[in-house]
Amino acid sequence: MSDSQFYENQFLKLSEWFPGAVGVFGPLMLALILMGVVFGYLVAAFRHGAGEGFYIVAQTVGGFFPDWLRMSPRRVWAIARLAIKEAFRRRVVMVTFGLFALAILFGGWFMNSNSDHPDRIYVNFVAFGTQMLVLFMGILVASFSLPDDIKNKTIYTVVTKPVRASEIVVGRIVGFTAIGTALLTLMGIVSFVFVWGGLTHTHQIVGENQSIASFEDIDPTTRLNQLGRRVSNGAIKTFQTTMDDGHRHTGELIEDIRDADSPPMDASNVVSKEVLPNGQIKYRRVIVDLAAGHTHGVKVSGDGDNATITLGPARGFFRARVPYYSDSLAFFEYTGARKEGGVDVGRELNRQGFFDGGTPWLPNTLSRAEFDFSGIVESRFEDPNLVVLEMNLGVFRTTKANIQKRVLGSWQIESVPENPEEGRVVSERFTFESQEYQTQLMPIKRKIVGQKTDESGNFEPSAEFDLFDDYAKNGKLKLVLRCEDPNQYLGAARADVYFRSADQPYAWNFFKSYLGIWAQMLVIISLGVAFSTFLNAPVTIVMTAVTMLVGFNTEFIREMLSPDHVGGGPLESFYRIVTQNSMVLELDPGIGSTLLEKSDQLLVQMLASLTYIAPNFSIFNFSESLIYGYDISLDRLGVAFITAFAFFIGFSILGYFSLKTREIAK
Amino acid sequence: MPAAEVNTKEQSSKKLQQSNPDYDPNIVVEAQNLSKIYHDFWGRQKVRALKALDLEVRKGEVFGLLGPNGSGKSTTIKLLLGLLFPTSGRALVFGKDASEVTKNEKIGYLPEESYLYRFLTAEETLDFYGRLFDMPAKVRKERAAELIEKVGLTWAKRRQLREYSKGMVRRIGLAQALINDPELILLDEPTSGLDPLGTREMKDMIIELKEQGKTVVMCSHLLADVQDVCDRIAILYQGELKELGRVDSLLKVSDETQVRFDNVPESAHAEIRAVIEKHGGNIISMENPKTTLEELFLSIVRESSERPGHRSDRAAN
Repeated sequence: MSDSQFYENQFLKLSEWFPGAVGVFGPLMLALILMGVVFGYLVAAFRHGAGEGFYIVAQTVGGFFPDWLRMSPRRVWAIARLAIKEAFRRRVVMVTFGLFALAILFGGWFMNSNSDHPDRIYVNFVAFGTQMLVLFMGILVASFSLPDDIKNKTIYTVVTKPVRASEIVVGRIVGFTAIGTALLTLMGIVSFVFVWGGLTHTHQIVGENQSIASFEDIDPTTRLNQLGRRVSNGAIKTFQTTMDDGHRHTGELIEDIRDADSPPMDASNVVSKEVLPNGQIKYRRVIVDLAAGHTHGVKVSGDGDNATITLGPARGFFRARVPYYSDSLAFFEYTGARKEGGVDVGRELNRQGFFDGGTPWLPNTLSRAEFDFSGIVESRFEDPNLVVLEMNLGVFRTTKANIQKRVLGSWQIESVPENPEEGRVVSERFTFESQEYQTQLMPIKRKIVGQKTDESGNFEPSAEFDLFDDYAKNGKLKLVLRCEDPNQYLGAARADVYFRSADQPYAWNFFKSYLGIWAQMLVIISLGVAFSTFLNAPVTIVMTAVTMLVGFNTEFIREMLSPDHVGGGPLESFYRIVTQNSMVLELDPGIGSTLLEKSDQLLVQMLASLTYIAPNFSIFNFSESLIYGYDISLDRLGVAFITAFAFFIGFSILGYFSLKTREIAK
Repeated sequence: MPAAEVNTKEQSSKKLQQSNPDYDPNIVVEAQNLSKIYHDFWGRQKVRALKALDLEVRKGEVFGLLGPNGSGKSTTIKLLLGLLFPTSGRALVFGKDASEVTKNEKIGYLPEESYLYRFLTAEETLDFYGRLFDMPAKVRKERAAELIEKVGLTWAKRRQLREYSKGMVRRIGLAQALINDPELILLDEPTSGLDPLGTREMKDMIIELKEQGKTVVMCSHLLADVQDVCDRIAILYQGELKELGRVDSLLKVSDETQVRFDNVPESAHAEIRAVIEKHGGNIISMENPKTTLEELFLSIVRESSERPGHRSDRAAN
């Protein structure tokens, strides 16, 4: 799944999606049924004549509703149980789990715990492995079952009982899904233990004892820590931890001077505090630096140099962040005019829109990105007094400028009154340093200094306003981001800036991502069973696998149709690889290149048509959310389940008609 | 039969009469101008398996379809079961079209070879087919136990069918055909693969079913089997119906008389010959009758089971 698809899927709202989906599903089913009836009639008329053909089709169509309405759960379950026993007999399930167990047993050897994001590697490994194994198991069991029954004629003793074609198809799907569910559950539990066990660790502080006394002073000339990295401003001592799990951390003892009314968010790492003459408080705190994508909490007992330091479990893994996205994002250029999609700074970054910091000659830039939020109410946040804004901003530099200095941005919030005559409340601009390639956390206090407009639109004197009672009085809030560095750009997409609520439990998120695999499995099994009603086993396997691959690569295939696509289609690309021809150069004109292009066009058109029939698997794929540490919303889960069940129903009906209209015996 | 069951059957019969006014409850199976042509992949005619077959099978009779291999017997059975679709004509079972699923509620079918799931045990097999008839668990269990005992497989009921001999599989195949206490039983080569003892038991079973008022349609190319159990037969050859009628009338040789008697000395033979010649008769044969090999085999087996370890007296002679 591409990045943009992943971010698009983050916004799925079941209530908005459902009416549109029904609008597509209903007519599509109707069209397919009509096409089936017409095709069926043509075949029947060819074989039996026009009149008899009509009678046969009428009889088949007429039997549809009774056959589905009178389905017996006992018969469906009997077929399902048989399918389960059959799958066990074929040992497909055991082999699948055996392969998975092998991968888990030896996979740990190849995991790089020292990478930037070991959690992503672990989760990706288990999620992708499970997904592929379960789907291929689904394809195998679904493809062989019915063709083998027909080949061995065991189906004779089944269809000569009062069993409906619908029961045979649905029973098989239910049976294979049940066995897949059991397998998936087992694999899910093993995967969770593997990920949890693989990433859970702690460290000891290197030194004679676990106290501040073992920390080292910082060389004031270099201000580097033990690993040769620059220490933070305010750092007075450093330490390093033992090497565990393939990495070590450094840490600092910093002096943090704050106003009396704004204590540090995490008080557990405070070693001492001292009230200064001006009323401010000087905190001494122990901070563990980021390594291998995580840090560790610190527990301090005692104070002063004798304070004992204990490192807690890793922080930064096992997250399921719950983002509150804006309803819309609009970009405005320096003239104040709205600019669709922001500034495009290059194809490779086209997911984000960019806004510039103006030029030195026009410093008061009006270029900005505006995010409109709704539903901003106290109850949605874990701590209403300190709301967290999270940003993944892109940075684009037109000049090198000061390479040590990060590009500056600012944020500002304002109310969005229902009635334009009501006064607006606009906050001050708050400047921040952008953190490229990192997720940036911005704690926002409840009381924010701003100005209110009077009836004539003039600003009143500055005052403190409440985030919920004044700014987001009606639940609506506008967040404005600006780039404050001339000649530089900041970039953002709608998914990049959001407010955060309390995290969801990681295990629950893990479970939800496996529900996504389950939904994929249901679709694949339904597809395999439907194909197996009219194809033999090998052809069913190929057809199901091709449909699955098309479903996984829907966007990529559609992109190949785009005129911007470089390197041509599959055949041309293959030719270029073999002949080591550059992707961006035109092929030499001639019959060969024309043939290649035309064949590619045909091939890509056919594949692209398939993408409109095959399920788009990105709807069911939640592993990215799990890997990047986002909560899988119930909306997305709902959409995936409804889509999977729609395909289950659609493919069951296809299988039903196919089985009903074919001769079982030869 | 319980009164409630009788009522249900009467009701379903009445229903059928309402939905199909031509339905005669005494006619269980009906083929009307039934034809089947097999085509190849391109739709070209490959084999004409059945040509305009017309026949009726009445309630309570044992009907045999007789013919050499490839005569259309199995095709007829498959058309009646809806496993094949007719090219023209109609196949009706209990007055319903053969493609109608609900007709199967009253049908039991034993295919030519017992196509059963080899990974199931005998108990599981019957339980599975019982479920397909929507039978409640208790009824299924009782019926399965009863049938397993009836076909003599109680000792092997927990073994997978893959471990069964061909004859044992055939027996459990018959049991699955009877799981729903059917009114019509279709048997495709019922004695195929059975030893003489099994063949005899199968024939006895067919006669027992007839005595219970069931209708049996069987097809076979083993003439003796058909002769032993069938009331009426149809002889098919190359897909065409060549003969149809009661077995006893079809086999009756009207211009010959057979007399069998015992305890008559050799000396009386001359007198008997004289009497026949006096009346203008022609003696074709007069000799001690021979038993059939089947009878001999069965009596030896019977004696051996009564007196284990002893050699048969007949064998010594």
